[in-house]
Amino acid sequence: MAAVDLSPLWLSLRVATLSTLVVVLAGVALGWLLARRRFFGREALDAAVTLPLVLPPTVLGYYLLVLLGRGGPVGRAYEALTGSQLVFTWRGAVVAAAAGALPLMVKTARAAVAGVDTQYEDAARTLGKSEWQVFRRVTLPLASRGLVAGAMLAFARALGDFGATLMVAGNIPGRTQTAAIAIYDATQAGRDSDALALVLVLSAAAFALLYATNRLSAAGHDS
Amino acid sequence: MLEVRLRKRLGPEFTLDVDFAAPPGVTVLFGASGSGKTLTLRAVAGLLKPDEGRMSADGRVLFDSDKGIDVPVARRRVGYLFQDLALFPHMTALENVEFAAGDVPRAERRGRAMSLLERLGVAHAAGRRPREVSGGEAQRVALARSLAASPRVLLLDEPLSALDEPVRLRIIPDLKELNEELRLPVLYVTHSRDEALLLGGRAVIYERGRIAAEGPPEELFAAPASETVARLTGVENIFDGVVIARDDAAGTMAVELKGAGGAACRVEVPLGRAGEGARVRVAVRSGDILIAAEEPRGLSARNVLRGRVSSVEERSAHTLVRVESGVTWAASVTRHALEELALAPGREVWLAFKTYSCRVYE
Repeated sequence: MAAVDLSPLWLSLRVATLSTLVVVLAGVALGWLLARRRFFGREALDAAVTLPLVLPPTVLGYYLLVLLGRGGPVGRAYEALTGSQLVFTWRGAVVAAAAGALPLMVKTARAAVAGVDTQYEDAARTLGKSEWQVFRRVTLPLASRGLVAGAMLAFARALGDFGATLMVAGNIPGRTQTAAIAIYDATQAGRDSDALALVLVLSAAAFALLYATNRLSAAGHDS
Repeated sequence: MLEVRLRKRLGPEFTLDVDFAAPPGVTVLFGASGSGKTLTLRAVAGLLKPDEGRMSADGRVLFDSDKGIDVPVARRRVGYLFQDLALFPHMTALENVEFAAGDVPRAERRGRAMSLLERLGVAHAAGRRPREVSGGEAQRVALARSLAASPRVLLLDEPLSALDEPVRLRIIPDLKELNEELRLPVLYVTHSRDEALLLGGRAVIYERGRIAAEGPPEELFAAPASETVARLTGVENIFDGVVIARDDAAGTMAVELKGAGGAACRVEVPLGRAGEGARVRVAVRSGDILIAAEEPRGLSARNVLRGRVSSVEERSAHTLVRVESGVTWAASVTRHALEELALAPGREVWLAFKTYSCRVYE
């Protein structure tokens, strides 16, 4: 039996890590906005951000192709700035995985921020602190457990993304073939042992993450 | 000097509408819960926006609806001690105070925070988290934190309500001493008469969003200007009655107080405007009523009533004895008096109080 090619796994980890970074930044900002600011269309924004969670991944992939493709607004802007395109590259896979994982982060971040007693924030304001300092020194640390749990969920989701990634980034071995896609590819080609190896590694990684997330939120309830 | 004039409608039933000035020193905001005391503090701090009004501290405008000025909370320099303190749970006591100490080098911030904790007698708790300190210590840490931000005004929202009496009585002298040094205008919200009297200074009495009376607390409490103030300031005996006779020459009138089940009790009160047959209310402070074990003679007090003890309630500082005599009177006595007179339910006693201890509200 030939050695299993683990490069799809490394690509998956790289894509999931980068998309989690993007998702955490955007998700915390959106979660805070939804939890702490009253504005017109707040619930509509929440619904729009949550859509990827309920839509078939192919629908998400379709939207992303339209947006990120050479004719799409984001794709054109990206190409003008960097000289390369987004679709059918690993960067496209990062965007696809991020779009799928964002709802999980936004939902948990909104709940985590809403769970911080506003009296602490008011107290910080009366002590002369700017809104940014209030957020960074008070809201963020007090919401941190929930935010970390959200980031872990987002990472696990990004690690396992299949449909949207396949549509946006394609299935190019060594370049855009992530673990989830490589498993599909291997079973289609009858390389069952390769598929099994990747399945086991991916399952173990996801389990470890979910277990850690539960431990974190359980610790949060104890205190 | 803190000047507050504000109006805020908070629903069809309640409008906060107050106007007062607080010189350096303690101004007690006194009133029942829901009367608008905390809302006033929130408005001064900038956490509640009035519909209209003007507020200033040390001549600096904090809010002026006519000129469209609404200084953000963070730039008002108003120290606010919340009722449940709001100490940051993820920081130690020292870090809480340091956080408030402003944009100065870390060493300086730490030094300032430490000296404030020392000044308030809680330096030993510096390294502990809020949940690891006692209620009294948390109170002092929160006060240190408010002061670390160099406020121009200090707002204290029932700061001692969560504490046991002994701890409470120890903090008040410290608070007074501290404030004699700082000379800040302090608004102190409470519904405890003892606290108001211990703090002294000035009191503003709130009633359903408005100011019912203001002045030195001992004066307000000794001679309540209205029935509501009497009720708020803890005058225990307030009865409905009817004027039976007026004696213009003596400056007194006789009032029959109506008790439960047709019982009545006649008392002599100072002459008021009410004519014979008019309904009035009579208030007497429990501390103004004497209890005698035998019928007293040769007293100047014009009201001497025979009655029977119905209950004895031990309070923290005194004992309240309820005596049935047509109506149920409450008289406060010391523990020694309670023992010497062997006051117990069922015992026959005489009550005595002066005509001028009675206040009549028409």
